[in-house]
Amino acid sequence: MSRMVIPIGPQHPLLKEPLSFLLTLEGETVMDSSMRLGYVHRGIEKLAEQRTYVQNVVLTERICGICSHIHTTTYCQAVESLLGLEVPQRGLYIRTLMCELERIHSHLLWMGVLAKNIGLDTIFMYTWRDREIILNVMEEISGGRVSHAVNTIGGVRNDLTKDQMNMLKESLALLRKRVEELLRSIEKERSFKIRTQKVGYLSLDDIKRYCVVGPVARASGMDIDLRRDAPYAVYDQLDFEVPLMFEGDVWARSKIRVLEAVQSIHICEQIINAIPQGPVSVKAPRRVPAGEVVSRSEAPRGEVVYYVRSDGSQNPMRLKVRTPTLTNLVTLPKQLKGLQMADVSVVIAGADLCIACGDR
Amino acid sequence: MNITEFLFNILIFPGFLFLLALALGLDWLDRKLIARFQGRVGPPWYQPWADLLKLFAKEDILPAGTNVVFTSLLPLLSFASVMTALFYIPIAFRRVPSFQGDFIVIMFLLSVPSLLYFLAGWATKGVYSIIGGNRSLLQYFSYEVLFLLAISGTIITSNSWSIEGIRQAQFEQGAFILPQIFGFLLALSGLIGKLKRGPLDIPKANSEVIAGPLTEFSGKKLALWILTNELQTVAGLSLLIYCYFGNLWQMNKLSGFLIFSVLLVLMQCLLSAISAMYARLRIDQLIRLNWYLLIPLSLLHNLYLIIK
Repeated sequence: MSRMVIPIGPQHPLLKEPLSFLLTLEGETVMDSSMRLGYVHRGIEKLAEQRTYVQNVVLTERICGICSHIHTTTYCQAVESLLGLEVPQRGLYIRTLMCELERIHSHLLWMGVLAKNIGLDTIFMYTWRDREIILNVMEEISGGRVSHAVNTIGGVRNDLTKDQMNMLKESLALLRKRVEELLRSIEKERSFKIRTQKVGYLSLDDIKRYCVVGPVARASGMDIDLRRDAPYAVYDQLDFEVPLMFEGDVWARSKIRVLEAVQSIHICEQIINAIPQGPVSVKAPRRVPAGEVVSRSEAPRGEVVYYVRSDGSQNPMRLKVRTPTLTNLVTLPKQLKGLQMADVSVVIAGADLCIACGDR
Repeated sequence: MNITEFLFNILIFPGFLFLLALALGLDWLDRKLIARFQGRVGPPWYQPWADLLKLFAKEDILPAGTNVVFTSLLPLLSFASVMTALFYIPIAFRRVPSFQGDFIVIMFLLSVPSLLYFLAGWATKGVYSIIGGNRSLLQYFSYEVLFLLAISGTIITSNSWSIEGIRQAQFEQGAFILPQIFGFLLALSGLIGKLKRGPLDIPKANSEVIAGPLTEFSGKKLALWILTNELQTVAGLSLLIYCYFGNLWQMNKLSGFLIFSVLLVLMQCLLSAISAMYARLRIDQLIRLNWYLLIPLSLLHNLYLIIK
């Protein structure tokens, strides 16, 4: 049978973000694949060196359109530890709340993309409808649906009012019902299972070799979660579980994300009940003492690492961002090899790529 | 029959305009129902008409190097063959010319578009079109067989290869739907594959091969392809209603027409619900399901009918 090379991306219904694959097919089987990155490289790391620390909060928020808050959180944590700032508890609680809301939003969004890719448009519509609840809450709290601009160096910019807390409570109750329904349907729905089970398998060894992080790693039995292993913000005061599965296929990845969304709802409810009174931020000086720091946090897709080096001026000397997409991306050629053409969309969706994060 | 009556029959009722309205009406119903199932609002009733008009007005582009005459003939031929098949299917109490063996003619005419759909993939030379074309041929060899086998249960019982014979048998023995409910369901699943509806829209799977063989088509040709598919839905559903609820044609025109419409709408609801409920199968899963389960089942069903 003759071989055929087909391009997927940068413009393709399968990919919501610009990334390009060249798949070599023999019949319907993928024999080889090559990947091309860099369509949305914006030079953010270099740009950060020309701006002040406060301006960089805005800049790092633009790295990702889905997990914008986790980027500013990680960045602010880095700068705060360089400054030796003690962020007030209430500020940390609000920061954590936004992180968890964002995690639910990201997981629901991802679930919709996967469902769309396997032709199950109904779940796509349902999850994106439910995601709207979260977006409304986040807009109510921060004024922004995508870029929330909540974080600032030394705390957060928005306080929570009583009305907002009540709205949040109601929304979370509704969302809990919807997410549990979603969990039931992905556990029971046969056509969903036969399309996603045993597809894109990664063993625990593969996970370790490629340094895969986040839900993809946890779906293969790798028990890592920075919220528990190296708590930041107020995660050490909260009670939550880290779901773990061992199947290592796309189905396990989707189930683990829904389970995590359930846990996140649980965390948000705890935060509403436990949030202390007090100020939400402290004033930060403009100049940052010389030094270097690594800050890590658990984004919806996995571990985000920020490295900041300061030379004592207003601008950082170097800002380095390592996003989870980058580590998960390198497993794709391995996962794609030998697949059916129809499973390519499942595997690519299953990795939950955020190319804007990866390219920066 | 004078010339005005002839023209009226061909062009308006029960000819072209009526069929067009029926096809686009069913298409609207399908889209509206799926939208409601998914918690959306759905399009207004004139949306399919607007889409069709818009497509006819659009510029018609083909990739360089394709044979223009050949690619233009493909949608025309498939449209013509479905229209011809509809001429022999008694829709809405139309009296149709019937002869021994016309059932086979209908089945053949209804399968021509699937073959031409495959050729469309090869003729336009895009990579996605070729993969989609391959898939549509694989699907053709599994679901066409199932549809024919399942629906031939009615032929076995009525012992006739003609549309008229199937009707006569049902006048005498009552509708086939209850004794052959099993065959009806198998034929319906065959029809889903034949119409390339979800969850069997494998040849045109949007997230895998863009639009399959139709990727490179635009303008009038694309409009004709879409119209053909909608007319095929009308033809397939009407044929099923005729073969399994044939005794309706005994009633008087008005009540029969009403029951026919209700059945058509109900079956469209069933198809919409199925396509909203399930994820798209992979082509190898489809073929396995079909040849290991559904075709043996329909063979057993036919064997049972023969012995009985």
